[in-house]
Amino acid sequence: MTFFHVVLVGMIIAAIGAVSWFVLPKGKNQTLLRSSILLTLTSCYLMWAITYLAQLHPLISPRRSDLRAEY
Amino acid sequence: MSTNYPSLFRSEEMSLVQLYIPSEVAHDTISELAEMGNFQFKDLNPTLTTFQRSFTPRLRALAESSRRLRLFQTQITSLSPPLGITPLSAVPPFTTVGPRAQNAYDELEGKLKEHERRLADMNRSWEELGKRKSELEEKRWVLRETAGFFNEAEHRHTEIRTSFDDGDGTAPLLEHAAEYGTLPGETGLSGFDLEFVSGTIERSRMPTFERILWRVLRGNLYMNYSEIEEPFVDPTSGKETHKDVFIIFAHGTDLLAKIRKVAESMGGTLYNIDSSQDKRSDALREVTARLEDVDTVLYNMGQTRRVELSKIAEVLEAWTDAVRREEEIFKTLNLLSYDQGRKTLVAEGWCPTRDITAIQLGLRRAMDTAGTSVPAILSELRTHQTPPTFHRTNKFTEGFQTLIDSYGIATYQEVNPGLYAVITFPFLFAVMFGDIGHGILMFMTAAAMIFWEKQIAKNGVNENLETFFFGRYLIVLMGTFSIYTGCMYNDIFSKTLHLFQSGWEWPADPTGLVEAQSTGHIYPFGMDPLWHGADNALIFNNSYKMKMSIILGVIHMTFAICLQVPNHFHFKKYMNIYAEFIPQIIFFHSIFGYLVVCIIYKWSIDWTQSSTSPPGLLNMLIYMFLSPGTVDPSVQLYSGQAFVQTVLLLMAMICVPWMLALKPYLLWKEHNKIKAQGYQGLTGHENGRASTSEPLEDEEEEVGMAVAESTDDEHPFEMSDIIVHQVIHTIEFCLGCISNTASYLRLWALSLAHAQLSEVLWSMTLDLAFQSKAGIITRGLFLFVTFAMWFGGTVGILCVMEGLSAFLHALRLHWVEANGKHYMAGGYPFLPLSFANLGREEE
Repeated sequence: MTFFHVVLVGMIIAAIGAVSWFVLPKGKNQTLLRSSILLTLTSCYLMWAITYLAQLHPLISPRRSDLRAEY
Repeated sequence: MSTNYPSLFRSEEMSLVQLYIPSEVAHDTISELAEMGNFQFKDLNPTLTTFQRSFTPRLRALAESSRRLRLFQTQITSLSPPLGITPLSAVPPFTTVGPRAQNAYDELEGKLKEHERRLADMNRSWEELGKRKSELEEKRWVLRETAGFFNEAEHRHTEIRTSFDDGDGTAPLLEHAAEYGTLPGETGLSGFDLEFVSGTIERSRMPTFERILWRVLRGNLYMNYSEIEEPFVDPTSGKETHKDVFIIFAHGTDLLAKIRKVAESMGGTLYNIDSSQDKRSDALREVTARLEDVDTVLYNMGQTRRVELSKIAEVLEAWTDAVRREEEIFKTLNLLSYDQGRKTLVAEGWCPTRDITAIQLGLRRAMDTAGTSVPAILSELRTHQTPPTFHRTNKFTEGFQTLIDSYGIATYQEVNPGLYAVITFPFLFAVMFGDIGHGILMFMTAAAMIFWEKQIAKNGVNENLETFFFGRYLIVLMGTFSIYTGCMYNDIFSKTLHLFQSGWEWPADPTGLVEAQSTGHIYPFGMDPLWHGADNALIFNNSYKMKMSIILGVIHMTFAICLQVPNHFHFKKYMNIYAEFIPQIIFFHSIFGYLVVCIIYKWSIDWTQSSTSPPGLLNMLIYMFLSPGTVDPSVQLYSGQAFVQTVLLLMAMICVPWMLALKPYLLWKEHNKIKAQGYQGLTGHENGRASTSEPLEDEEEEVGMAVAESTDDEHPFEMSDIIVHQVIHTIEFCLGCISNTASYLRLWALSLAHAQLSEVLWSMTLDLAFQSKAGIITRGLFLFVTFAMWFGGTVGILCVMEGLSAFLHALRLHWVEANGKHYMAGGYPFLPLSFANLGREEE
């Protein structure tokens, strides 16, 4: 179920990427902007997805021994 | 790729162009081209030495002028109080082009010569006077200081005398006499034969001087010295020297002569001083009067010199600029083929095809400035020489392009990784540098540099900071991405942000070792803050970051391998797609792509519900090779795993001979076909010798010398070479896949080190102050001190040093791991003649 979130966000990101590909005006920097936006979206999405997936079904849970009662 | 706009994706299309320049417009044409800065001249007289070239005499004269200008510049800058040099923008421009330019330059040369002569005269007399002045000053000091010595010496003598006399028993009389003042100095002294040497010597030599004298005279001297407070300034070099006045009393002409000799050999100056009080004060008065005279003369001369120099300073920049331009122009003219008799110069060089029209307009403009009616003629040559690589960068992209260029200049028209490095570089950097706080600091620094870039660029920065200033756009992106990855790691100065609902909660009454309970949520953005400070946080983070490094690495390398494809299409080497690209991708992904899939699959399975325990992926990968076809059911990831792994392994194994053999075989077949048709020696190249010489043969005159020598770069077909090359290439790729993937683990190692280091820094400085139980004032002071330490460490160690190391690692990942997969980097840079960076080169 939650794996679906990753896919969903991925689709949203892909949509944003596609839109920006077509929306960007022609000009000297078109190639640069297109590639930069796509790469930024991809890399940021990847990083988020990996972090999210890593916590999806954790094999261990946090443990600590220095907690005080009121916390 | 013939888009309307230049892009960083491929280097500019270049054309080899020939210019026929009538000699009347040659100077102005070159000047105009340099102004535009998009033409790279080729040397058409490579056989000639510098001395044999036509314009060398003119260049020599210009070199002389620029030497004079440098001389003026040093004299102006060393003047105190400083004299401002009028900046170039405020000076009326110097005529560097047009029909009157030659005259102007000749005039300038004359002016410079005249100025130099006048300045040299002035400097000489200035020097002489300065020397005289310092001599007089020294003498004055000697006179003043020795007066003190004489007074002292008088007393001393009486004392010496009394002490000598002490033993004779006659002492009481004299002693009393002295005590009662019946032996006044003058009369007391008159009894002695007071001989002395006085003068000045450098302070640093004083101890040696003293010791030598003591040895030479065996102690038979009485020496006194005092320091002159004011330093003496050398009029020409401006160096300060401190000197001491000394006076030495001794008996006998021999001894005195010895003292003189020693003093002179030690660089001291001796001054004759009379022992009588009156004469000394007379001398002092005289010296003072002369000093005043010299001072007035010196002052006047200084003023004249200043006026002279300030006159030069007003136009110095314009002259320097003009001379530099002229030098550049004549250096270029030397590259052209020139025939005295024919009145035409032939230039050949590279320019971006896109700019040819602009250049043609420029040629017309040059003709107008020169005031003639014959323009230079441009003709495009067809060639199979490799053109230079030219990427049009702007202030944003130039930093990124430099990173790639320092690895190697792209082959002409090759896919340029610099375009992608704009994002991938800061991102990979940030993976290692992830911390919101450090990211913000970095971002702010670079943002400030960008905000004030005009001012900074105008005022210039010192050398160490210049690198950072040059990379300001790079750093700003590095900072931005670090903020993002910091959010992912949930690290801000080693602390954590708790923005969303955590997926864990601690039990209500924690005693001893407690384990957090899952709340059923998943922290939606980044790492769950509850992991922070947990005893087993490191175990969790290691697993997470390690897997992330592998995933990012595999994706980055896949991207790099895919960048081959546009190259193969562009260079029409379709064979490489199925002989290299496809097997490479299959090989890589049947091993590491599979690993990535397994990592994600393992994450997405809820192992608490599963019947088997979660398998170790590393062991899985190892056993995939060691015992193919069998998977221990206790560590099975999914059913049918053994079959899938066997298939993947077979695919990878097939790829090796595929990569190894297909390409050489195809090349061999192609070669045979060509041979069969009888075209040996004219291999491959469809446009074979698209001749550089053909258009020239149409010309009546043989300007052929101007034409590029036909570079004979056709290699004979060598099967063994191709095979060896392919073997090396294949082995490199297959082994590289493994070692390069492992190399991406540096992302994990560096980010872990960064997080740990910032935590250690926190706990060793600020945390101590927070934990301290002392009084409020002590704690405040403690906090103040530890904050300074913490902040210094954060900036110095974590941001600068750690940042530098993360930078280098990101650079390596780009150069070796990514570029190695597709970047040929066999080009040479386009270096157009340009006035834009004239001054910078010289410095």
